[in-house]
Amino acid sequence: MSSALQWIVNAEPPTGAGQSRPFDVGQLPNRVSQALWRGTELGRADKTVVSSGFVSLDAQLPGGGWPCNAVTEILQPQLPLCEWRLLSPALAGLSASGGHILLVGPPKRPHVPGLIQLGISDKNLVWMAADTPAERLWTTEQLVKANPRGGAILAWLPQARAEQIRRLQVHAQSCDGPVFLFRPQAAQFDASPAPLRVSVTLGADWQLLLHILKRKGALMDGVIAIPSIPGTLASVFTPRLLHPSQLMAKTEVAHVHALGRTVTQPRLRQLAAH
Amino acid sequence: MSMHWAALLPSLACDNSPRTDPADLAVWALQFTPRVARAHQAVLLEVESSLRLFAGEDHLHQLVEAGALELGITALAWAPTSLAALACARVGIRDGFAGPLAKVLDPLPLACIDAVHAHGTTLARLGCKTLADVRKLPRGGISRRFDSQLLLALDQAYGLRPEGYRWEILPETFSAKLELPGRVDTAPALMFGARRLLVQMGGWLAARQCGVTAFTLRWCHDAMRAKDAGDGGEITVRTAQPTHNVDHLSRLLAENLAKVTLKAPAGDLILSATDVTPFIEDNRSLIPDDRTTGEALNLVLERIEARLGKKRVLRPVLTEDTRIEWMNHWQALHAKRPATQVRQVPGPQPTWILKTPLQLDVKGDRPLYQGPLQLLLGPERIEGGWWHRVQDAEGHQRSLNVARDYWVALSQHAGVLWIFQQRLPKETGPSWFLHGLFA
Repeated sequence: MSSALQWIVNAEPPTGAGQSRPFDVGQLPNRVSQALWRGTELGRADKTVVSSGFVSLDAQLPGGGWPCNAVTEILQPQLPLCEWRLLSPALAGLSASGGHILLVGPPKRPHVPGLIQLGISDKNLVWMAADTPAERLWTTEQLVKANPRGGAILAWLPQARAEQIRRLQVHAQSCDGPVFLFRPQAAQFDASPAPLRVSVTLGADWQLLLHILKRKGALMDGVIAIPSIPGTLASVFTPRLLHPSQLMAKTEVAHVHALGRTVTQPRLRQLAAH
Repeated sequence: MSMHWAALLPSLACDNSPRTDPADLAVWALQFTPRVARAHQAVLLEVESSLRLFAGEDHLHQLVEAGALELGITALAWAPTSLAALACARVGIRDGFAGPLAKVLDPLPLACIDAVHAHGTTLARLGCKTLADVRKLPRGGISRRFDSQLLLALDQAYGLRPEGYRWEILPETFSAKLELPGRVDTAPALMFGARRLLVQMGGWLAARQCGVTAFTLRWCHDAMRAKDAGDGGEITVRTAQPTHNVDHLSRLLAENLAKVTLKAPAGDLILSATDVTPFIEDNRSLIPDDRTTGEALNLVLERIEARLGKKRVLRPVLTEDTRIEWMNHWQALHAKRPATQVRQVPGPQPTWILKTPLQLDVKGDRPLYQGPLQLLLGPERIEGGWWHRVQDAEGHQRSLNVARDYWVALSQHAGVLWIFQQRLPKETGPSWFLHGLFA
């Protein structure tokens, strides 16, 4: 009896069980450690991905890029906002290797000379002007089923419901290219079967503020700010224009001053009359 | 040499399904073998030499039976001789290869073979009920008492004497007619009959090793039509690539028919292949692909075009113009593209543009769009277009001349905009328009 107690007292805690020392994955067989995933880590994409072109964004996306074989929701406060600023680095790579860029129901007319400057070729660009929600969904579904290899599908679905997105997601699992669905920001409170949901807003000084609402793996707190000057504007900007927020602040001040003057002028006149 | 015959019997009963003409059936069957004959109101196929091409007996049987079912043929049989196949088809035996030929044929009734049926009453009085009974009669007696056809037909059916037929010849052009069993009021309901015609056309195309690039479906109104309805109507469906894929063709036709309204009920359908070009099939790989490939993208785009309309599935064409609106225009998917190389426009360009520029409100001297705009860069003068004249609705000539100062403007909510200040006409004063977005 006493010897048993003695053993317990003398026993060291098993390796890795200590609170200060984290469990060393290297102790496990190679195969097990590769398959091990912890809740605090980012999920791994078991399928191919397309790099988004932004290092800080790639670091936060499972697998390091926009997923293929799945739909990706991009939520924006208003409809034509920053689609090409966000996606053009990824799409340029696909377009350069001959992939089709298929647009379903974009909110405005695409301007091809601008897209060419972003590296998206006019050869494989197709614009499908679908208007009604039913047409948009049908067209998107047909394209996803068609599996445009090496290409990408961009669909604007302002009124899609969760079960419709689910249907697209099921088809997208056998689609080798990324599928982007653009939806309004209000949809962030609805459940969605899309495995990746990203909300985008404009930040100050040419930044895009991204918040990943849903992804494989740990939840993300905070926002990612990625610098993105649209198109080829960067080449013609003066250093002052790289910080337009300062310019705007100056203008606001000037206007407040002007406003103050217009208010005070009649007041002065009134005073003079007395 | 062993033979492998099939007999297809168009149903003679007056049921609800439309009847397929034996001549049309023969044309369809020519895709499997060049040895197709019409005899005894049936279509007979000899497929022995095609077995290898169609990946074996079972696969060929499946193909023929599935196709025949779509054409409304249910009486179908396989046997080593044509008359045996026909006899089996008449009594409803599917497989004449199930046992030795004599065992299959012996229990069949006299009516199965036409030459025997002709002497049916006399033979019945002799006590014959089955083909076996007739065979048991002495041959010399039969040949003296009945005509020579009876013995010949019996021997041919049992494979003792050779059979000879005049083979069908494949027509140069395809046009098939179908009488609908009932009056059809709506265009999409025509699809049922049209599908059968498309299957026939698919067979003809496969036999000719051609693909269709345009086909026409014509419908004739029946005699009870209103006076102003005319004789009928037609639609022509075009495809970009020559194809003989019946499923694709029928989906295209269904999309087109969905947009048609019939002026009167239709009674007859006629399908003809308008444009036909030789078709080269893809090589089939020995090694299976690791992933099942989706439908080819251009087929899908074609189908989307058929539903949305030609003006809504578009590809860009670049032109050398300084004016934003005419820098690129959009054309239908398969319209001819100019071969000229277009130089790239210098300077930044927006990625979205508005079809017609949107006039902006002005507060003081600053344009407004979802709040005041901050002008960042400009002006970039774009001027020209006096050479570009168009005729408006009233027939007046109008020049699309523009003189605009473009600015890059920043909005807090809408992002980076491409706005311009109109310089013409002068008297309206400076007016601002939103024209594009750097999204």
